[in-house]
Amino acid sequence: MQKTKYPAVAATFIVCFVFWVLLDFSFKIEEIVAGAVVSLLVALFTARFFIRENAGWFFNPSHFFAMIGFWCFTFVGELIKANLNMARICFGGCKDINPGIVKIPTEMKSDYGLAALSNSITLTPGTITMEVTEEEGQNYLYVHWINVQETEPEKAGEAIKGTLEKGLRRVWQ
Amino acid sequence: MLIRIIVDLLIAVGLVFACAGTIGILKMPDPFSRMQASTCISTLGVLGVAIGGVLYAAVVMHSASSAIKIAVIALMLLVTNPVGSHAIAKGAYSHGYRPDKKMETDDLGRDFDE
Amino acid sequence: MTDLLIFAIFYALLAFICLYRLIKGPTAADRMIVGDNVDILICCAMILFSLFSGRGVYLDIALICGLFGIIDTIAVGRYLDKKGRFHNVDSDHR
Repeated sequence: MQKTKYPAVAATFIVCFVFWVLLDFSFKIEEIVAGAVVSLLVALFTARFFIRENAGWFFNPSHFFAMIGFWCFTFVGELIKANLNMARICFGGCKDINPGIVKIPTEMKSDYGLAALSNSITLTPGTITMEVTEEEGQNYLYVHWINVQETEPEKAGEAIKGTLEKGLRRVWQ
Repeated sequence: MLIRIIVDLLIAVGLVFACAGTIGILKMPDPFSRMQASTCISTLGVLGVAIGGVLYAAVVMHSASSAIKIAVIALMLLVTNPVGSHAIAKGAYSHGYRPDKKMETDDLGRDFDE
Repeated sequence: MTDLLIFAIFYALLAFICLYRLIKGPTAADRMIVGDNVDILICCAMILFSLFSGRGVYLDIALICGLFGIIDTIAVGRYLDKKGRFHNVDSDHR
């Protein structure tokens, strides 16, 4: 169990307070003060689960805009392509499927990078991340794929996550 | 009037993808494939309703708080859905459920079942 | 104005059709998938009905519905995971 660090508490407090203001959306002084107190209590108890690494990372504008650009353009394009493919399979009677679990290598090193990559893979219809392991310094993902075209690890990885990983490598290492 | 037509089109596109996900849930042969089909509901089904609803609340109803609240709900659904999907898939596999049909490859079973 | 109500009824109807798999589904994972998706569909129907009736209370109901959906999904997923590992350990020791 990690110890609570004060920059992590500050970052968690800012995130909680922004969500309070967005959900409440009334600017009386009493409600702002109540939200600040509740956010501070929540931040003191949960900061050590929420932030593990550098706390000021997210508030750097270049990282922030790189993330916004990735989620709004690259990822939405992939999402619409995969959704059309899955809708074609479903309306065609769910016949031409070929399911399987493949093991693909990835270049991501940090925890946040692995979490973002595996959640992006899970959110596109047709692929679900089932397990993450590390062998000899190289991280591997086990992915359930509904229409297996390649069983070689390198080619399957290029077909599943080529565009997503290239976009995410600009944000994380 | 034009904005009403755009809102209706967006929600109808979301409804078409939600319908595809429902058909997939009813007709796919094994639990993992059903999970794949149900991802259609929680991505474009939610996004169509959310973008249409934000446009309607901001332009027709002139209420900023409703628009921001709808955007926050859609963001929360999109961020938390893959966590639950991954939890069900991993739990079902390690509980011992396997697909009926023979899989093309099964690397996870090869590496962990010994 | 009525079009939003019609779309909301269609979303609720899709959630009702999903319940067939909840009754018939052979495994616990199938039932949990249906539970997750019924939550999401009801959340969408609540958003549309809130826009139709012009009252903001239904948006709060939609938010709470989505939050509880993800919590029970993760709880059942973790339960299945722990139960499977426990059985494996038990059979090894026997």
